[in-house]
Amino acid sequence: MNTPRPYALLAELTYNCPLHCPYCSNPTQVRAGIDLATEDWQRVIHEAAALGVLQIGFSGGEPLIRQDLARLIATAREVNLYTNLITSGVGLSANRVRELRDAGLDSVQLSFQADDVEPADKIAGARAHAMKLEAARYIREEGISLSLNFVIHRENIDHLTEIIELALKLKATRVELANTQYYGWAFLNRAQLLPTRQQVERARQTAAAAQARLAEKIDIYYVLPDYYESRPKPCLNGWAQRYLTVNPIGDVLPCPTALSAIPEMRFENIRQHSLDWIWRESESFNQFRGTKWMPEPCRSCPQREIDFGGCRCQAALITGDAANTDPVCEFSAHREIIDNFIRAADGGGPPVTPRVNPTSAHATRARAPFSLC
Amino acid sequence: MHTQIPSDARPRLSNGVRLQIDCTTGKGVLLFPEGILELNETAQEILTRCDGRTISGIAAELAQEYDVDLATIDQDIRETLTDLQQRKLLELA
Repeated sequence: MNTPRPYALLAELTYNCPLHCPYCSNPTQVRAGIDLATEDWQRVIHEAAALGVLQIGFSGGEPLIRQDLARLIATAREVNLYTNLITSGVGLSANRVRELRDAGLDSVQLSFQADDVEPADKIAGARAHAMKLEAARYIREEGISLSLNFVIHRENIDHLTEIIELALKLKATRVELANTQYYGWAFLNRAQLLPTRQQVERARQTAAAAQARLAEKIDIYYVLPDYYESRPKPCLNGWAQRYLTVNPIGDVLPCPTALSAIPEMRFENIRQHSLDWIWRESESFNQFRGTKWMPEPCRSCPQREIDFGGCRCQAALITGDAANTDPVCEFSAHREIIDNFIRAADGGGPPVTPRVNPTSAHATRARAPFSLC
Repeated sequence: MHTQIPSDARPRLSNGVRLQIDCTTGKGVLLFPEGILELNETAQEILTRCDGRTISGIAAELAQEYDVDLATIDQDIRETLTDLQQRKLLELA
């Protein structure tokens, strides 16, 4: 069997972040280990380019925390990778933007929590909104391509029109309206974050109308709320087909959420193996590659090459077995669990658990829970 | 249908879009935020020249280099540029 070539590498430089968003998809528990050094990341970048990777996303946590970020961007440009910074914008001064631009940064994806300062800072657990507005201005002044990303949940889903207005005002070329994907902290907080079916329906109409109306001005990318779909998302375009992730301590993952969602799977580390070997030969990358691993109803499904059985992490989190059909699918034996999540998401329930940094040890309760409503 | 693009337009890749040779395939690709577009040979030849040259200039060069009919290559260029412009990967300055 021919091994596919990867197109994009997600480099998660650190799990630390100045924000505490309860919808973060970072793992709630991380494996202890020492973060990769500059030289380790540079080797990863060279090996990724040799494997066929064309794009690199520097992410986290908050990648700006790494003081060697500009050096890593420069390394990526030396091997002709397209460089994208995925950031909260906190710490992105005019000088820092210039430093990254000079290193060859191609584009920035800046996260926002809401269209207005008060709800935005509340969900972020930090006074970040004003800094993000400044950061957006610096990015555009340096002529760097700007995308905005809004994670959408019950509290902001009724504000898509205002959110798109903000994206236009900040001269973004692209805005992602990304319905929460329920992994990591988001899975923990799903009862508080899930919008209602009526909210989802209105949002779909608002987004579609804006896409048609503003097609000349901005790309509006609407990420479907998959719990409300009847067929699963084509997660990653199939396991280990196009993407790979390296986390802060050098574990190489077919998907950023796999480490915590599939605890029984053994992932390889860049300190022990080459990226090439891990991509081609390792058990974790090969286990769900292609369609041979599929059980019924996927095995005989005409959609199996279209949605690839959906998301392995979602299957593991919700059904307890990563090899099951994604429970979002209407043909999954476990669809009822998703329907129960939707029924339980009535806006009441316990307060959300804000995300905490892994370095604040034993700190799952370090920040006070709060209510969204 | 492509006559609305003036011959003296100077097409350029949009901000944040890069033309690159994919070392795995040897073919041209456009790289942009969250996206990769694999180019055919014609599109690659055209885009390599989108650096401030006019459409008529690019057409004349390609017609000479590949010894093809100027009207045909002009039509190819307009089709390619219109497509890329609609995807916001290219601007006609």
